[in-house]
Amino acid sequence: MNSSTHTVALDAPKSTNPPASGPNTARLKQLFSQYKMLALLIAIALIWAFFAWKTQGGFLSPRNFSNLLRQMSITGMLACGMVFVIISGEIDLSVGSLLGLLGGVAAVLDVIYKVPLPLNIAIVLGLGVLIGLFNGYWTAYLRVPSFIVGLGGMLAFRGILLGVTGGLTIAPVSEGLVWFGQGYLSTLVGDGLALAMFALLVFITWRQRQNRTKYGLPLAPLWRDAAKVIAYGVGIVAFVKVLNAYDGIPVPVLILLVLLGVFTYIANQTVFGRRIYAVGSNMEATRLSGVNVQGVKLAIFGLMGLMCALAGLVNTARMAAGSPSAGNMGELDAIAACFIGGTSMRGGSGTVLGALIGALVMASLDNGMSMLDVDTYWQMIVKGSILVLAVWVDVVSRSGRR
Amino acid sequence: MSEYLLEMRGIVKEFSGVRALNGIDLKVRPGECVGLCGENGAGKSTLMKVLSAVYPHGTWEGEIRWEGQPLQARSIRETEAAGIVIIHQELMLVPQLSVAENIFLGHEITLPGGRMNYAAMYQRADELVRELKMPEMNVALPVLNYGGGHQQLIEIAKAINKRAKLLILDEPSSSLSASEIAVLLDIIRDLKQKGVACVYISHKLDEVAAVCDTISVIRDGRHIATQPMTTLDVDHIVSLMVGREIDALYPPREHDVGEVVFEARNITCFDVNRPERKKVDDISFSVRRGEIVGIAGLVGAGRTELVSALFGAYPGKHSGEVWLNGQQIDVSTPLKAIRAGLCMVPEDRKQHGIVPDLGVGQNITLSVLDQFSRRGKVDQEAELQTVHGEIARLRLKTASPFLPITGLSGGNQQKAVLAKMLQPKPRVLILDEPTRGVDVGAKYEIYKLIIDLAAEGVAVIMVSSELPEVLGISDRVLVVGEGRLRGDFINQGLTQETVLAAAINVNAIPSNQPAAPEEAVA
Repeated sequence: MNSSTHTVALDAPKSTNPPASGPNTARLKQLFSQYKMLALLIAIALIWAFFAWKTQGGFLSPRNFSNLLRQMSITGMLACGMVFVIISGEIDLSVGSLLGLLGGVAAVLDVIYKVPLPLNIAIVLGLGVLIGLFNGYWTAYLRVPSFIVGLGGMLAFRGILLGVTGGLTIAPVSEGLVWFGQGYLSTLVGDGLALAMFALLVFITWRQRQNRTKYGLPLAPLWRDAAKVIAYGVGIVAFVKVLNAYDGIPVPVLILLVLLGVFTYIANQTVFGRRIYAVGSNMEATRLSGVNVQGVKLAIFGLMGLMCALAGLVNTARMAAGSPSAGNMGELDAIAACFIGGTSMRGGSGTVLGALIGALVMASLDNGMSMLDVDTYWQMIVKGSILVLAVWVDVVSRSGRR
Repeated sequence: MSEYLLEMRGIVKEFSGVRALNGIDLKVRPGECVGLCGENGAGKSTLMKVLSAVYPHGTWEGEIRWEGQPLQARSIRETEAAGIVIIHQELMLVPQLSVAENIFLGHEITLPGGRMNYAAMYQRADELVRELKMPEMNVALPVLNYGGGHQQLIEIAKAINKRAKLLILDEPSSSLSASEIAVLLDIIRDLKQKGVACVYISHKLDEVAAVCDTISVIRDGRHIATQPMTTLDVDHIVSLMVGREIDALYPPREHDVGEVVFEARNITCFDVNRPERKKVDDISFSVRRGEIVGIAGLVGAGRTELVSALFGAYPGKHSGEVWLNGQQIDVSTPLKAIRAGLCMVPEDRKQHGIVPDLGVGQNITLSVLDQFSRRGKVDQEAELQTVHGEIARLRLKTASPFLPITGLSGGNQQKAVLAKMLQPKPRVLILDEPTRGVDVGAKYEIYKLIIDLAAEGVAVIMVSSELPEVLGISDRVLVVGEGRLRGDFINQGLTQETVLAAAINVNAIPSNQPAAPEEAVA
């Protein structure tokens, strides 16, 4: 697929003679990440096949598939924010506690103060952004290493949560809030969404082709783009069909899918996204190029806080209660998901999709081993080993390339 | 046993096809101090790395004989065991450890069970510092309690403790005061008496003349001359060091220089680590529209600090004013400087220039990404169009703008960094060592680009350690030495000797243009 990548020399002016198979194949870096993605998908397939075999297919039933996706949604939301934090060369250890705190606040506002749901959500999301910015300010402007800021937050936020809830579980939360964690879309809405997504896909591809024509850039052959659109279309339909075969698309999964789209868009299409990668790859060079690197970091932490708030809301809704232990070790799951998903430890590279597949790997292990009644201690040992193995494979393949 | 302690014969060292050393000979007798002289980039450091086996035997051609025997060392450990110890320009001491611990680092005297034998080490360290005439030094105190001069001597103590027969001192005095240098030179004379030989590398030729018995001059990787110091003087050494003609390595230039657009006033920078020390001491200068001003000087003279301060990139404490078109501009951060119309291509391409995880194109547009933004979204097609244009304009050789920038050659990486800093359309462009690590062909293209920019009216400030380059394309040459402006020359009939003499400050040659910078160009 990329045989022509190396042969095209751009030494002549205006020599835009493209690789015959289209400009996308020239995106060598993207290719590497695609291979990485492929390896991840193969890993998932192996894990799923193993559990399906052990559970006589029970693992792959629509019901369990739905469960699995709901289980990963909380970690996935955190991983969406965390992947940017890690790409920018930082880390945030406070997200588990912050998730718990914001979920607890949501429960307290709902159960004790009977705050209307929209206001409640607005308050919690706003609070999340503020606390995230607070963390970011300590890291970017006051130059306390983010590891320490996170460690401090991990203790302090959990402490505040215990104080706010008095160490008690706050229940029962209102129906409306619970819907965000336990609700399903009706099959009709699901089908409609699938159709809308497919239409969007067609539209984006068409727009891209138009733009490239407008600027005189090389175009991929039409059949290629068409095949791509159809392949994605089949994927979308299969996904919705399976979920509709149970109760429909779970609301948390829908939220996660929207986040995947938004965060991928931010990473690939926006100025802010490009700067996240630049800051993580070489902060000094980026600063000397006239980028406000502190501002970029501040915004990344703000976004992380927002994701904690969202994850906290969904978590409270899922359990229909605010628990003082909510989100315990959540930060480690999120960080592990990012690293399994191929995010570079030294910053500068990584993808949102990778991080979510990483979260799916973790959730699959959890879910499958629970189905097999594996002892908790074994589950922890297996998850820990998989994390180290995954990163080792990444390190080996990286060093082999240079 | 041969007459010589060390004989290096016909040393050739290549870096990916480029000959850094081209058949160099160096001979040292026991107890002799040889001064190794040459311009920046002549190959002095490379030669010493060959000698100390930083480049192990087999990665270079030629022969090294040590005490009459062939020496085929594969690591620094082996050369140190033989008695060759190199003391680098940047000292390799651990500041938090004590003087004694530093002297014995890696060769600790131990008690059973791996415990440190502090009593024995303190005693031996005390002997060493006395031998080096520092009886007041407390060897149990951390190294950071002592200044640069003492630290240099601690390095020497460390070397003597390893039973060094040959000490290589690479720019040992670059961070020392005059009195500290006097002590250092005394110590070296003392060591010579005791039979320790020395290779002394320094740009400060007066020191070389004061302490060395023999001078070896290298230039462009070739051995030029080896003569006893008694037959030489400093002027003679300078002419041997320079000794080459400027030919068609530089594009012709024909352009008009306009009015003054840029002024730096009273720029002073303090050392980041030693805030009481000035790296740049009250430098003022101006640049005209379409003028190329070269800033020459020795390594460590404060040139990079000066231009970083102009761009808001100097990390330490600094002061001064920057004026553009008669208005003072805020250059407290690079972002503000760029917005005001001032851009800089930094010296260290790897650390400060390229962003390794981004593609070639994304590196080029990093400085102006906002321009391609439509409500926060990057218009990637427009961006790509610009990138293609830049790649063509700079003849940047890359298979695709999406390739990682780390896959390009040094010259092409430099072009990408240049392209990046040209995107904001600067009115003043600062270039810090724009051709370092760039091959000859790309060099010419970069010169051409600089000249074209000047013709378009950009005021260019170019810091360079390569004198021929400075003389080749500048309209005016500023010479910086020890943080001060040592000369301001119009580049007409200007010779490398004059510039080098001003940089070294042999006999404080005044500027050929004594007036203020504003009147420097007719």
